[in-house]
Amino acid sequence: MSVSRGRRTAITALLVLLVGAPMLALAPAAPGAVRVAGVSLLWWYAGLVAPLLATALAIIVLVRAE
Amino acid sequence: MSALSAVAVWLQPVLLAGLVVGVTAGDPAAPWLALGVLVAPLVALLAPPARLADVNLVARTAVAVAVTLVLAADFVLAADAAALLGAAPWLGVLLAAALALLVPLLPGARRTSAPMLTMAVAALLLPLVSVALTTRTAPWTAWSRGGSRPALTFSETSAWVRDGERFARPARLTFVEGQRVTVLSPGTYRVVERDAASPTVREWHLTAGETLTLRPGDELSVEAGARLRFEAGRRVPGAPISGVAWADAPDRDLTLLPEALGALLTLVGGALALVPATRRGPSAAAAPLALLVTTTAAIGWGIYAGATAPDLALGGSLPAPVMRLPTLALGPRTGAPLAMLAVAALATLALSAVVALRGRLVATGSAAPALWAAAVGLAAALAAAAPDPWTVLVLGLGLAAAACASLRLAAAAEAAVAGSIVGAGAFVALVGVPVVAPGAAVWPEVLARYPVLAAMPLAWCTTWVMSGGGAARNSATSL
Repeated sequence: MSVSRGRRTAITALLVLLVGAPMLALAPAAPGAVRVAGVSLLWWYAGLVAPLLATALAIIVLVRAE
Repeated sequence: MSALSAVAVWLQPVLLAGLVVGVTAGDPAAPWLALGVLVAPLVALLAPPARLADVNLVARTAVAVAVTLVLAADFVLAADAAALLGAAPWLGVLLAAALALLVPLLPGARRTSAPMLTMAVAALLLPLVSVALTTRTAPWTAWSRGGSRPALTFSETSAWVRDGERFARPARLTFVEGQRVTVLSPGTYRVVERDAASPTVREWHLTAGETLTLRPGDELSVEAGARLRFEAGRRVPGAPISGVAWADAPDRDLTLLPEALGALLTLVGGALALVPATRRGPSAAAAPLALLVTTTAAIGWGIYAGATAPDLALGGSLPAPVMRLPTLALGPRTGAPLAMLAVAALATLALSAVVALRGRLVATGSAAPALWAAAVGLAAALAAAAPDPWTVLVLGLGLAAAACASLRLAAAAEAAVAGSIVGAGAFVALVGVPVVAPGAAVWPEVLARYPVLAAMPLAWCTTWVMSGGGAARNSATSL
């Protein structure tokens, strides 16, 4: 995969991760309110899972693009 | 530009403090705002590198205005911090403006941005880690406990109860239970009583020491600068009704979607306009890591503040949770030095951010020190009017987004100029409607709060049409 194509794919993935938070929060039946280990699914996603994935993705692309 | 210097322009104290207050208050938008603060600059870092030669006058002007608005929002934060420390708010603005004016103009200032950012992040983390270790409470445990409280009430050690506190912004407080409120600053206080079929409005002219007795359902209007004292054990007015409501805002439904998209578009567009490209390679990993640590720290501050003292978000003062939490959680002996460290962290973050902001003005062809002085002066004048700093920040980011984001699609300079003019024009028009015609409503209402929702698509369409409807050129243009 070329550098520019990889970068475009990464940007798309980041935007999908970003939009995932309001989708999870505002979807009917409130799936984001489900508690997992005492914390809502929404905060696990927006505060831990998505940030770690987004950071890892950005690091991979930025380091590879040298 | 180094990776840390690139993200220093994004990590504005007002952005992080606003996020902390949002989490503390249980704002329904807090989760996606937290994610947006992290992801928006990552998108900008991965976007194609800048070709500054193509940036037109409209985009440059928009960036200069955006920088001024972001500075103003930071200065309001400084005013709030000064008030919390017992000084006059204008003193905070004056000190912040003096430092913002001088530090970026010092020789070699640009090289200090990254080390200052590193120090600020470390200083922001230390009190937070101390709170976690001393109270032996992990953030998720604090969130879980905070989310199971039956009611959010004033504690006996709350500053709002002991000596009273100052409202940094005008507020309308709705009381869900009766409470006697002691007025500590003379003034006119308006109470809307809703116990009858039609609401009754009463205005009370009170002197310091007099009390207002409020009943369930009453709404009290408070002017900025007013000082009030509340009763211990009573519910915090305006706060979520319970811990469950703090953890999962009951009004989160699909009607919030346009507002969520507006906020996220503002963040992503603003980052694309303001965050510069960075050198690639292993050293570039520092930028995403710094963003991750800083945003996670902001969420952590908000969780501990919201779980420990929900009244920290009451007065509308953005630095209040960061400046008050260590003392409330750890006591004055251990907490006071850590609170000062947190203040130092915000100040260092602000210095790092203003150096980076000045760098953005220079990079867009506005290197004259006089222009920087004008931006700082205007920002200080704006901050003196004590506007809501989050609104000012959103305006700044939104204007930059509307004027600059379409540049990436342009196939010719004329298309870029047209996109910038349409984007900036639409943004200014939507912002200006409530000012020019106070009675007129902007429909839908969300456009008044997030004008980028209309301005950015209009700019993109104009650029696309002017480019002949073709695909964007390979060597994309960006700020």
